[in-house]
Amino acid sequence: MEFDGTVSIEGVTMDEVWLALSDPVMIKQALPGCQFLVEVEEGDVDFDALAASAPDEDPPTLPEASPEDIAERAFVEGGRYAALMEISVGSVSPSFETVVTIEEREFPHMYAGGEGSASNSSFEMSSWMDLVETEDGVDVEWGAEADVFGRVAQMGQRVINPVANRVVGRFFDSVESQISDVSTDDSSGLRDRVSGLF
Amino acid sequence: MATEERRSGPDGVETVDADDVDAADILGSAIERREDPSLLTGDAEYTDDIQLPDSAHAAILRSQYAHARIEGIDTSEAEAMDDVVDVFTAEDIDVPGNLPTAWDLDTLRTVDHPVLAEDRIRYQGDALAVVVAEERYQAHDAVDRIDVDYDRLEAVTDPETALDDDAPVVHEEEGTNTAFDWEIGDADETDAAFAEADHAVGIDVTNQLLIPNAMEPRAAIADYDDSDDELTLHMTTQNPHVHRLLLSGVIDHPEHKLRVRAPDVGGGFGSKIHHYADEALVALAAKRAERPVKWQATRTETYLTDAQGRGHETHAELAVDDDGTIRGLRVDTAANMGAYLSTFAPAVPTYLYGTLLSGQYDIPAIHCEVSGVFTNVPPVDAYRGAGRPEASFVVERIVKEAADAIGMDPTELRRHNFPDPDEFPHATPVAMEYDSGDYDKTLDRALDLVDYDEFRERQERAREEGRYIGVGLSCYIEACGLAPSELVGELGAGAGLWESGLVRFTPSGTVKAAVGTSGHGQGHDTTYAQVVANELGVDYDDVDVDEGDTDALPQGMGTYGSRSAAVGGSALVQSARKVVDKARKIAAHQLEADPIDVEFEDGEFYVAGAPDRSMGVQDVALEAYLAHDIPDDIEPGLEATTFFDPDNFVFPFGTHVAVVEVDPDTGEIEFEDYVAVDDVGNQINPKIVEGQIHGGVAQGVGQALYEGAEYDENGQLVTGSMQDYTVPKAEHIPDMETDSTTTPSPVNPLGVKGVGEAGTIAAPQAVVNAVVDALEPFGVEDIDMPLTNERVWRAAHGNGGDS
Repeated sequence: MEFDGTVSIEGVTMDEVWLALSDPVMIKQALPGCQFLVEVEEGDVDFDALAASAPDEDPPTLPEASPEDIAERAFVEGGRYAALMEISVGSVSPSFETVVTIEEREFPHMYAGGEGSASNSSFEMSSWMDLVETEDGVDVEWGAEADVFGRVAQMGQRVINPVANRVVGRFFDSVESQISDVSTDDSSGLRDRVSGLF
Repeated sequence: MATEERRSGPDGVETVDADDVDAADILGSAIERREDPSLLTGDAEYTDDIQLPDSAHAAILRSQYAHARIEGIDTSEAEAMDDVVDVFTAEDIDVPGNLPTAWDLDTLRTVDHPVLAEDRIRYQGDALAVVVAEERYQAHDAVDRIDVDYDRLEAVTDPETALDDDAPVVHEEEGTNTAFDWEIGDADETDAAFAEADHAVGIDVTNQLLIPNAMEPRAAIADYDDSDDELTLHMTTQNPHVHRLLLSGVIDHPEHKLRVRAPDVGGGFGSKIHHYADEALVALAAKRAERPVKWQATRTETYLTDAQGRGHETHAELAVDDDGTIRGLRVDTAANMGAYLSTFAPAVPTYLYGTLLSGQYDIPAIHCEVSGVFTNVPPVDAYRGAGRPEASFVVERIVKEAADAIGMDPTELRRHNFPDPDEFPHATPVAMEYDSGDYDKTLDRALDLVDYDEFRERQERAREEGRYIGVGLSCYIEACGLAPSELVGELGAGAGLWESGLVRFTPSGTVKAAVGTSGHGQGHDTTYAQVVANELGVDYDDVDVDEGDTDALPQGMGTYGSRSAAVGGSALVQSARKVVDKARKIAAHQLEADPIDVEFEDGEFYVAGAPDRSMGVQDVALEAYLAHDIPDDIEPGLEATTFFDPDNFVFPFGTHVAVVEVDPDTGEIEFEDYVAVDDVGNQINPKIVEGQIHGGVAQGVGQALYEGAEYDENGQLVTGSMQDYTVPKAEHIPDMETDSTTTPSPVNPLGVKGVGEAGTIAAPQAVVNAVVDALEPFGVEDIDMPLTNERVWRAAHGNGGDS
């Protein structure tokens, strides 16, 4: 399955969007059903241990968080991240144990590949994102290719496509509102501090 | 050959109550089906209705990938769950566990088909592990807790792609996806025919994969008694004895200690012929647990595991002269066999396909090559029609194309090449000898019913108004009544295809008939009782029919290939005649006459010339069991068993005509008319014949317009439920007018030909030909099935219908 789209965000700079979309905490919060999203080492991932050690409360994100803290925890090229994603598909709500690798990350382009598995279902996906400066803000151009396997795949595209669209839609809605918070919070001089990081 | 017509009224054949039918007229009467009250009121007992004390429930873990190596299976979490009785994988079973193919071909690559995958998965439904738990849902929950470590491999689902050099190989050890190469006919003669003919017409046709969709998903319940090693399996089967024999080998259990019983079975369409892993797994589970174990497939499970049908990619060429004389036919087919060779799979795209490529026509030279191809889809095997729909589709599509190419009316081209009725038996260049036929008769009748000549004028006028109507013909032939044993043995069958029938009087004069076929919706209880009552001259209600239990019946080969009436019914006829012969001797003894002087009519024995000296056959039955006064050389009792093995297949035929209107702007197809004129030989019960035609046409229309198993590039079934796979509903099926002619078959005592598959074989090409005819002004020559609105729209808009 292939998905792509463009999300236009007004009143923001490329740097702000880049920083926000580089923040694992914000991504985790924006992804519906995401229980945790943490960087992991190579090798087998123990999702049970990660779930047990996941913090109850997330650290602050922009605009509350300091840009330096976010830069510190930002995705890095070659970085490997584990996430537990609970997604309702038709009558089932599988929890996908997902591992994502940031294959490319060079401003303003990011490319990631990943795979997730749940009981008798799994997916493999690759996704990319480019930021494009516009007259009144930034366009996030994105695309994803996903292969779905097993029980979820058997539910058919009539069931899966709306679910995928819902996940993607909620994700960008959430990203958009969080980034808008950043852009309206100019008084703190945040924008200067964000720019200063690049 | 005597041929008569039988008209049905505008509302179809009217049923009659058996009580209102004279005994002498019972055979051939459209009496109500005696099995319907139990089916309609819910009294019927399906496998899942069977409740054995202390039963546990099995669920089967199936692969989520179509092609993968198995690195490991961790069942520990499932085993630790409450109320889980047993969990087992391939390494826990110590029986052969290899599902056999019961049909051999010279070049066949016979591959292992383990009941539980050992180190490799080859299609999405491949079984990996079995969980047995106290309750069904616990078993399913536990299956979800089994952790499988897969190494996913590239998959291939289409037979032509699978033959490419760089295609993923389904059975690595074979080094190729070619399951077999097979040919029939004479290549040189066919080449010569093409060289001499005025024209050669070529087509490429796809006969898409279909999912069977029996109303009742497959199920089994196994009951094992450790103290005497008796294992009973109640299951959804079309052939209990075949299942018993095959299962006995698969699980290494002695055949005489194994009982396979078919309770009421909700349809099969072929999908319940085959020996699947599941019944073996349920049997093994019951032996391990030493308690009854039940498994009921979910609908989505059957979509992943039921053997699918069709799956052909074919290039065909027809050599034809200016005057419409067909000189030769050349056919090259890649047939999808799926991941493994199912029970009768090798026979379907070969001897049930290539041998029917002469259709209703006198074609002097035919050559057909078929490559059977392994792919990562479920095993492909017999589905209603099994090979014969594919053959008829090729023939009837290319005949239509040839007629268009030489500018001849398609009905005239067909008629020009029919053998004359007095040329039967008619031998074809592809090994068949048609038993009897009169093809003009069904064609004439069908054309008359649709008012063909008037239609062509109407079509012209409609086109002038911007409306596009079309007519499509299908003059089909099929070979069914699957038998005879010697012939199928020569062709590679691992079994004989006779049928057994037992007729047994009770002392009180009622009759038990038992047949080795196994009905699953056909109405055998009714039709067999009609046959036996007619032969014995007893009341229809005095005859009861048993089927579907290996312990209760002599032996049997089952129900498929429209064989039950032709072979099973004939076995009953012969047994009834043996019973009458014996009864005649007893009656003669009682009447103090010579047996040759004793006549039998309407259930009464009487002395020729002295009709007052008579005795009813039911009274003779009592005498036979009392045995107080029977001839010295006669044993007590009154029963007989016959293993009937005819000399040939039977060859039903007919003409189906579809009349459609196509909207080129939306791609929608609407039926204006559908006419089916079938000749299935003598009819035992015209209402049941009509019902079979209706159901068969519904399935054929389903293939033409709606159905098709679709896989993504990873071999994932994307039509995995009825939400995405369109099974036609009542609203999708045209009103149809059925009619018939009767050309009795000479190869069985009933003169019947078989009707179970006729409609499915006939319908698809009638519909496709009609749509192509309607879109002729747009230059449309072909559209792949299913003819979805999108494909039709694309075809009308000039891109060949590729979606």
